[in-house]
Amino acid sequence: MNIFLPELTVLATGLIVLIYDLFAIKKDNSKFSTYFSLLGLILAFVLVALGDSGQALGGRFAVEGIEPWFKLIFLGSSILTLTFTAETFTSKAQEKLNHPAEFHTMMLFSITGMMFLVSSRDLISLYVSLELATIPLFLLAAWTKNIRSGEGSLKYLLSGALASAILLYGFGLLYGLTGEMSLAQIGPKLTANPALWLAAGMVLAGVGFKLTLFPFHMWAPDTYESAPTSITAFLSVASKAAGLALFFQLYYRVFSTHTLSFQFIISLFAAATMTLGNVVAIKQKNIKRFMAYSAISQAGYLMMGFLGTSHESTASIIFYLLVYALTNLTAFAVIVHHTHNQDDESIEGLRGLSLSHPILALIFMIALFGLAGIPPLSGFVGKFFLFSVAAKSGYYWLVTIAALNSTVSLYYYLRIIRQMYIEPLNPQEHPMKSSGLFKMGLGIGVLGSVVCGLIPMIYEHIDTNTIEWLSTLHVLGMK
Amino acid sequence: MGILSWLILIPFLTALAVIFTPDSKKIRWVALIGTGIHLVVTAVASWRYLELIQGNFDSKALFTQLQMTEKLPWFASLGIQYFLGVDGISMLMTILTSIIIFTGVLASWDVENRAREFYSLLLILVTGVFGVFLSFDLFLFFMFYEVAVLPMYLLIGVWGTGPKEYSAMKLTLMLMVGSALLLVGFLALYHGSGLHTFDFTQIATVRFPKEFQFWVFPTIFIGFGILGALYPFHTWSPDGHASAPTAVSMLHAGVLMKMGGYGALRIAVYLLPDGAKDWGLFFMGLTTINILYGAFGAIKQKDLKFFTAYSSVSHCGMVLFGVASLNMLGFKGAVYQMFSHGIMTGLFFSLIGMVYGRTHTRIISEMGGIAKVMPWLATCFYIGGFASLGLPGLAGFVAESHIFLGGFFGNVWSDITVMRILTILATMSIVVTAVYVLRGLGSVFLGPITDHHFDGLTDAKLTEKLCTGILVATLIFAGVFPIFMGHMIEGSLVPILNRLQASGALAAIGH
Repeated sequence: MNIFLPELTVLATGLIVLIYDLFAIKKDNSKFSTYFSLLGLILAFVLVALGDSGQALGGRFAVEGIEPWFKLIFLGSSILTLTFTAETFTSKAQEKLNHPAEFHTMMLFSITGMMFLVSSRDLISLYVSLELATIPLFLLAAWTKNIRSGEGSLKYLLSGALASAILLYGFGLLYGLTGEMSLAQIGPKLTANPALWLAAGMVLAGVGFKLTLFPFHMWAPDTYESAPTSITAFLSVASKAAGLALFFQLYYRVFSTHTLSFQFIISLFAAATMTLGNVVAIKQKNIKRFMAYSAISQAGYLMMGFLGTSHESTASIIFYLLVYALTNLTAFAVIVHHTHNQDDESIEGLRGLSLSHPILALIFMIALFGLAGIPPLSGFVGKFFLFSVAAKSGYYWLVTIAALNSTVSLYYYLRIIRQMYIEPLNPQEHPMKSSGLFKMGLGIGVLGSVVCGLIPMIYEHIDTNTIEWLSTLHVLGMK
Repeated sequence: MGILSWLILIPFLTALAVIFTPDSKKIRWVALIGTGIHLVVTAVASWRYLELIQGNFDSKALFTQLQMTEKLPWFASLGIQYFLGVDGISMLMTILTSIIIFTGVLASWDVENRAREFYSLLLILVTGVFGVFLSFDLFLFFMFYEVAVLPMYLLIGVWGTGPKEYSAMKLTLMLMVGSALLLVGFLALYHGSGLHTFDFTQIATVRFPKEFQFWVFPTIFIGFGILGALYPFHTWSPDGHASAPTAVSMLHAGVLMKMGGYGALRIAVYLLPDGAKDWGLFFMGLTTINILYGAFGAIKQKDLKFFTAYSSVSHCGMVLFGVASLNMLGFKGAVYQMFSHGIMTGLFFSLIGMVYGRTHTRIISEMGGIAKVMPWLATCFYIGGFASLGLPGLAGFVAESHIFLGGFFGNVWSDITVMRILTILATMSIVVTAVYVLRGLGSVFLGPITDHHFDGLTDAKLTEKLCTGILVATLIFAGVFPIFMGHMIEGSLVPILNRLQASGALAAIGH
């Protein structure tokens, strides 16, 4: 029972927020739902951080090794997202979000799904928790209720449903091949045959959709652009982390005896994804669309971690995911704040920001440099570790492509920095007022994205957990 | 915490102090005091270094070792350490950087536009430079390397002149391509050595397979070469230097480009000696083009800053030429040249800034005879010019004579005839340099005053006199007593030469 506690906390928080809204006397209760959701999430965060590992439901639900890290990333990124979403419930801009209680409930349900996803140990609960994580996101993407947002959400829904269907077909094949539902049992029974590769391809396509890997990324730019900005942030971080958790489950548990045969394909996906994301990002004028492509390229870097054959590789993926979550959310905090105050989503709208809001501009610059992987920020350290993993397995061509891609990405991040620092002030800029909650979230984000790379403890801790985790798994060729 | 950590921390703390100084008029004083303290600490550190190696002179092993090392585990499971140390080469480069940043602050005394950001970025940049020269862990080295390169974008983009956005972007991207190559090379060294450490004094004990070295050496050498303005990757340098504000040009040409030469010697040649033997002649050829191309390019320039930038390309080519000649004389010359060129270009760019501040033009043909109204600046400019064409008694002569002698002596791994031909070609640049320096300076400073607007101009102020005075004094000192540099660096070059000679015999130390 104990190990369910964080999940149950989040679920209960979601239900309470929803029910309270039904009976609330005051019309505008965005404050209550924000703070109550934050409270629940922080409580769950603490519970996960302090929680032990263990199993329940006859081994169908388990918490081991690195899994708490995934949950911490989900919870942490939703906490940060909520800190800068609070402002948009009272905004006067087009992007004003209504129905705060339902909004928070949906988000909390989605996080519950993600958390269950990490701990599921059989195909059915894996699939159900994936749907629980995804379906609320379809709704959230349409939250502004205008045509644009609806179109983006519909696109997301259709391609998401297709991806789920393909994934489910893959699961069906896996079950057909082995007659097992439990992830741990499937692995050893899988033998190399065409049906396995078909199943693997389907699973990869399903996961690729969540992770926005090329060529399954098509939905991302449109949805990211049209969704409410805070949901864009959530999609680009938490949802991506969930996709990665799903891939972890399947890659290290189900395909554990065949991981080496995946390496080459993964390296191709990584190269194509990072290159596409980077090259297309150069031309973007809308900041949200721009961040979508930047997020696609980051997924390409993340995939490099799967090329390794030692605990370092898994540890680097988790570490980079953590760093990416912090850095990307910091960037998005500034974007949300700026777009809803200025009602302007163009990159040019940021011009002269360093003159009117020096601290905000500085934080945005740090976040962008972090995404570009510039030392001494943690974005650099994380990327360096991932590159090192690929190099260790001999993928020097990929490391070269990735390193050159970082240079390209620097070009477009510098374009934004140029707008903020070199261009003169935007004469139409409205004054911006920031709430205490926003400042706190921003502070945590930027501090985290600087400090994670400087202090070794976090990485070392993840590394220790990874070794422990891998020892329970028996992945072929992994030390 | 040891003295080397302080050498890196002081500029960083000064940058913080600058950010939090309430009165924006006092910022420059804070920066000056911070860099002044740094200069004193550097002097103390060099004194201690000289004492340490003096004591160890008889036992040659200790003489070649790193001194004042500081080691702390960082990402221990990956073999990443916080590892600082100093040998003669890095000590000399630290002295150079410390002088340049101090004079750079003096030279940018009049910056008032967003001074807080300007000084803090400048100081963060040198923090990176000191880190590069003092760290002996590849990861740490790379981290500082990028910290030193990136602030350049904003420094040029915000405070520059002319097509500043274009130049800033070109410079940053080209240098970042260089660091991308370095990243690949460093990872290859880390995984190739099998030692599971980024400490490159340990990696230096590994003899890598020849095939491995053949590919990794050019990757790293070109990676550093881009920063060291290696032909044909030098094109960022004229644009960047011409657009940058005075202090930034000083730092960039004076110090940052030296990181290229330093890395090429310290990492590429030291860790991959067999690769160096295979590629030495090729890079000598490229750097010969560098030297001549830069010199001939400078003749045609109309803008004083472009003029100096091209002459920098030529002189930095000499650094890499010395490194590629793979012998004691060449290495020594390369290190001398890094120092002397650093001081010399620092002097040039600061003077150009001062002259431009008065005449509001940098076009050579629009000026004339201004030595009459600003004798101090003209004199300093001439001393710098003489150093640049290698007049004996100034630092440039010591450096260039070593480099060309080294090239002419050749080494046993490359074709001696080709090396000599290349050296003779490269030596011709001295004549070309004399042509452009004397012609350029002549038309700016000598003759009658061409424009009556120049009549009322004033000579150097106190801060400017201090700035240029320090640089000129250093140039003369290094030219008259080169032995102080030789004393520092010889012992530190021995390990590099030892790695080159397969037998591992201690190479002759020429005193």
